[in-house]
Amino acid sequence: MHQDQRPPSRKRLVRLCLNGRWREDAVPDHLLLVNYLRETVGLTGTKTGCDGGECGACMVLVDSVPMPACITLAVRCEGRSIETIEGLSSGGSLHRLQRAFHEQLGTQCGFCTPGMIMSAAALLRRNARPTDGEIREALAGNLCRCTGYVKIVESVRAAVDDAP
Amino acid sequence: MTAAAGAFRVVEPADVAAATAAHAGEPGSRYLGGGTDLLVNLRRGLGTPALLIDLRGIAELDGLACMAGGARIGAGVTLARIAADPEFRARYPALCEAAAAVAGPAHRNVATVAGNLCLDTRCIYYNQSEWWRGANAYCLKYRGDVCHVAPQGRHCHAAFCGDLAPALLVLGASIEVAGRAGRRRMPLAELYRDDGLAHLTLAADELLVAAELPADPPPSAYAKLRVRGSVDFPLAGVAVALRAEEGRLSILRVALTGTNSRPFLLDGTDNLLGRPLDATVLRHLDRLVQKQVHPMRTTLLQSNYRRVAAAALARHLAARLAATPEAAR
Amino acid sequence: MNGTVASRDWPRPGVPLIDGIDKVTGHARFTADLDPCGALVGRIFRSPVSHGDIVRLDVSRARDLEGVVAVVTGDDCPRTYGVLPVAMNEHPLACGKVRYRGEPVAAVAAVDAETAERALALIELEMRELPAHYTADSARAAGAALVHDDRPGNLERAVHHVFGDPEAGFAAADLVREVRIDCAEVNHAQIEPHAALADYDPATGQLTMQSVSQVTFYLHMMLAHCLQMDESRIRVIKPFVGGGFGARVEVLNFEIVTALLARAAQGKVLMQLTREENFLTHRARPQTAIRLRLGMRRDGRMTACECEVVQRGGAYAGYGIVTILYAGALLHGLYAIPAVKYDGYRIYTNLPPCGAMRGHGGVNTRHAFEVLLDRMARELELDPFAVRRMNLLSAPTRTLNELLVNSYGLPECLDRVERASGWRERIGRLPRGRGIGMACSHYVSGAAKPIHRTGEPHAVVNLKLDWDGGVTALTGAPDIGQGSSTMIAITVAETLDLPLERIRVIAADSAITPKDNGAYSSRITFMVGNAAIDAAQRLKDILSEVAARKLGVRREDVYTAAGMFLARGSDATAVSFEEVAKAALVGEGTLTIKGTFTCPPESQGGKHKGGAVGATMGFSYVAQVVEASVDEDTGQVTVHQVWAAIDCGHAINPLAVTGQVEGAVWMGMGQALSEETCYLDGLPAHASLLEYRVPTIIESPPIDVQIVESHDPLGPFGAKEASEGALASFAPALVAAVANAIGIDLDELPATPDRVVEALIARRRRARLKSAQESAP
Ligand SMILES: Cc1cc2nc3c(=O)[nH]c(=O)nc-3n(C[C@H](O)[C@H](O)[C@H](O)COP(=O)(O)OP(=O)(O)OC[C@H]3O[C@@H](n4cnc5c(N)ncnc54)[C@H](O)[C@@H]3O)c2cc1C
Ligand code: SF4
Ligand code: FES
Ligand code: FES
Repeated sequence: MHQDQRPPSRKRLVRLCLNGRWREDAVPDHLLLVNYLRETVGLTGTKTGCDGGECGACMVLVDSVPMPACITLAVRCEGRSIETIEGLSSGGSLHRLQRAFHEQLGTQCGFCTPGMIMSAAALLRRNARPTDGEIREALAGNLCRCTGYVKIVESVRAAVDDAP
Repeated sequence: MTAAAGAFRVVEPADVAAATAAHAGEPGSRYLGGGTDLLVNLRRGLGTPALLIDLRGIAELDGLACMAGGARIGAGVTLARIAADPEFRARYPALCEAAAAVAGPAHRNVATVAGNLCLDTRCIYYNQSEWWRGANAYCLKYRGDVCHVAPQGRHCHAAFCGDLAPALLVLGASIEVAGRAGRRRMPLAELYRDDGLAHLTLAADELLVAAELPADPPPSAYAKLRVRGSVDFPLAGVAVALRAEEGRLSILRVALTGTNSRPFLLDGTDNLLGRPLDATVLRHLDRLVQKQVHPMRTTLLQSNYRRVAAAALARHLAARLAATPEAAR
Repeated sequence: MNGTVASRDWPRPGVPLIDGIDKVTGHARFTADLDPCGALVGRIFRSPVSHGDIVRLDVSRARDLEGVVAVVTGDDCPRTYGVLPVAMNEHPLACGKVRYRGEPVAAVAAVDAETAERALALIELEMRELPAHYTADSARAAGAALVHDDRPGNLERAVHHVFGDPEAGFAAADLVREVRIDCAEVNHAQIEPHAALADYDPATGQLTMQSVSQVTFYLHMMLAHCLQMDESRIRVIKPFVGGGFGARVEVLNFEIVTALLARAAQGKVLMQLTREENFLTHRARPQTAIRLRLGMRRDGRMTACECEVVQRGGAYAGYGIVTILYAGALLHGLYAIPAVKYDGYRIYTNLPPCGAMRGHGGVNTRHAFEVLLDRMARELELDPFAVRRMNLLSAPTRTLNELLVNSYGLPECLDRVERASGWRERIGRLPRGRGIGMACSHYVSGAAKPIHRTGEPHAVVNLKLDWDGGVTALTGAPDIGQGSSTMIAITVAETLDLPLERIRVIAADSAITPKDNGAYSSRITFMVGNAAIDAAQRLKDILSEVAARKLGVRREDVYTAAGMFLARGSDATAVSFEEVAKAALVGEGTLTIKGTFTCPPESQGGKHKGGAVGATMGFSYVAQVVEASVDEDTGQVTVHQVWAAIDCGHAINPLAVTGQVEGAVWMGMGQALSEETCYLDGLPAHASLLEYRVPTIIESPPIDVQIVESHDPLGPFGAKEASEGALASFAPALVAAVANAIGIDLDELPATPDRVVEALIARRRRARLKSAQESAP
């Protein structure tokens, strides 16, 4: 291809804090956050389960607030803090939600799990002692096809009771 | 890889004037609120704007204030914020109930008031993938020339399904709109027309700045019909505001969403004023609703059901409100 | 019972999944998460029409597009494939004719998704359209266009089975009633969308395939068949799989297409289907119309059953023949019925092909059966529990259609849920609008007769013991989230008396693990569990021999406990497993031990045509109570609580059993309340998770699970299946609860609010008509 045929760059630099570390990447304006995470960065813990906004498998925290990454633009995360499932455990030990989901079988196939745990993590951050009703309300946008949600509620409850 | 939403650019204007100027520079562009409707639609190939104008950085759109003279809700305020606001919950419960009933909790963290009020209309022949619509020769609303819901007509019946509008309608909301030509105010009802193809009366470059509510609102409530307890759009949504003086209705406003191409205030409720809210009045109310809603086959559930159940919801809400102490004075 | 297990009775807690930590940390790699380095993006061009002949397919412009590396069409795979050897009538890419909207016609591999998408738009397809049939009735009508030229009347399969003397049975009945029940088509809707990664190395001619499959062995076989490759040149690996529920129990067109693309591109291709494409791929539970007649004596004893089933099968065979056979076979095995007549019709239509889904074949007929049983009980003023108790089997027995029933915990299941739900105190005493209902169900523990009769055992497990003292179980059984690898680890650990952490399980990699038929018909626990116990027992025998030498005692006097080998009588002498393992390797090197399981001939079903379907070593049994309320104005049904008791023989992992039962009950709830597909001229209007309404956590009730252990004589530690049986009794229990709440009998599933309101309106209309007639002179 000739030099003059080269299309103009459609990318811009985005700086964001991903799982506690600042980074900078060149991304096109239309890039979805889920593709940024999975493809640009290579963090595949965030899943895709639907064609846009319907299942919650892609849930991540943006400034501590859960958002479906599949209908969020990466460029809109400029200057923000993004947390994914990979950032939840620290210092080699599982987050209490991760431990509870593992021990209480809140995860079966595991595909909804990262999104589910991220929604739950946001809940526990703003409400240390949620009722079962509040747990359900917080997870109302996360679909799971394996568990019937029974052990998911139990897992979150166990994590709450496990609070330091 | 998750399908992209197109190849648009995004600009982040700092104020309303810059936003409308950006629109003028790229006439096919779209305003972006939370994106929970727009980005989903773009991912399905519904529209190919070259530019999205991100309104999130505009401070003016972000105000939420409940004052003695009424309330002002910035267009960019998120639904989660309204739903949780204690003053709004006390004075405008229908609005908060409606906000809390939209989509799922994460959507509400980004979804905005304006995005909800300017939500595109919906139809099972429209909210489908590009392949799907292409295989079906598209439809009147986008790229095609027939309506699959009512093939003999030249009218789109896609339903307006935003939850907030009926609540704001019964609370007497007006809106402030800004465009290249300046700003204007109008009652919220005038934002809409009953045409699934072009249900908003805004000029292409106009954007919503705020909604305003009068003070001293009557008691209000919102309820929606849906199959699941979360996520689902309303098959029908009903807001009621009601006051009774000495047992007789002095205010009765009912508004509906999900059934027509626009949300609307039910006509004829004034005729029921001055009467006690008894079985006869409720029967009248039921009939009024059934007459004025026009659910078409735009959802997978039967349209007759949406008619009958919308009326039932209106009755329930009215009866429930009338029984509260706040309704009487 | 096979194998011995420390006699620990329920309730015991169970253990978490051995791969659970990877799932909660996000480290688990599902197919779409695999290394995309150098992978091209695959996309499929799908038919826009329901039925037609391909007049012209031109992919040249797509091929010429910069960035497109390969384009394949039906010409690249002239062979048909399918899961049943007698019905392989599907092409991975349409050849000459398309039979449903969305059928794959061509595919491209390109450098990125945008290019692949643009290439699809350049493909030109010209069709001669044929009349299309979207209902079984229209496809069966005289003169209907044929979906397959060799199937007159679009009849894929008719089944006619008569056992006992139904006429005599009905004659002896005090009450004969009939229902017509219609169950909408549903979909698995596993949350992980389909994906496949195929890597073809042109230098060696090797193909490595990683996919979401539940049946990696079938996939291996069909890849070799369709690509006309030597089986030994193919390796199939299963990454983490995000659920299946039957969606992936047959080889799917996109898997073969991905491999075709990889070979054509001479490289690596990643294919990820959209949610819509998942619905187009379908293979789930068909729309089913059922006419069911039962005869009953006044005391509730059944005298005869007659059942006609019509399934709208979709465009290709898939598992269809098995589904229509199951629908009849599973009328048996739950209750004692002296006579059963079954007529089943599987019909081809121009819709995405149906297939197997959790509770395969049995769910919809069981629904009709239990619903009718409930109504007849009401008419005879009998308690629904009492009616079930009048018709119990007594094990061991063989059913009329020669199904083996060696263990039968249904009576205890009934007792347990009756008690737990407070049935006796509450039935008839709930306020209007609230009700309780009950129903029973069962399901096979593995199809005893395999699809391919190779003479091989039904399951093989290899155990490898190496210098590190760890035991590695190698199994072809695909863990798809159901926890089968954990089950294998437990059976091995229990048999060897080792802590679970010492067992590693490697599952479903054809280069490493023994062949396994796959994750379907709830076969893994029973068959692979038995094979694992067999392997572990053999290893234990060898190690006990070595331990005896080390301890200086006779082999018979060696026993194991908590990771030690001990000599009976002399508590002081013991050697650790590690020491014994090291000693066992002396002069031998790494030990590889094989265990097998073969279903005994008496479990393999009757001699009648189709008799193999339904045949199994044992059934799980479930009794279920549902409490629900109904809003008579909006038609909204709310489920408040479910009580389910399952006889799973023995709970190898009680935690996993309760998890599976909760999942099955809840999936039954989805089918009962909100899930259904809807096609508009063959286009799936439901093809998203917004329109296909998988229940959210909000309307999902608490589920109380009780485990009943009947200790099946053939089961591994006495275990039977636990993942499917509980699904089928939810819907009839719910319909009974609705009847109990508002006196409405629903004949259609799902019980969406519009159907409930419709039924209420119909009742009002009937009442008006009746009073008008009565008041007329
Ligand atoms: C799974 C799912 C379920 C949903 N369920 C519901 C539901 O139950 N009820 C419901 O009401 N909605 C629902 N929605 C739709 C959507 O989430 C909400 O309506 C939301 O409030 C839209 O707001 P937004 O800010 O995200 O809008 P956006 O997507 O940003 O915008 C929507 C439209 O409004 C226009 N717009 C945005 N801001 C302005 C402005 N200031 N002036 C003029 N035009 C503007 C945009 O150009 C666009 O056309 C659902 C969406 C999903 C994905
Ligand atoms: S109502 Fe008709 S024109 Fe409007 S979106 Fe639906 S099919 Fe298209
Ligand atoms: S993938 Fe984002 S909501 Fe489904
Ligand atoms: S664990 Fe499989 S989808 Fe939730």
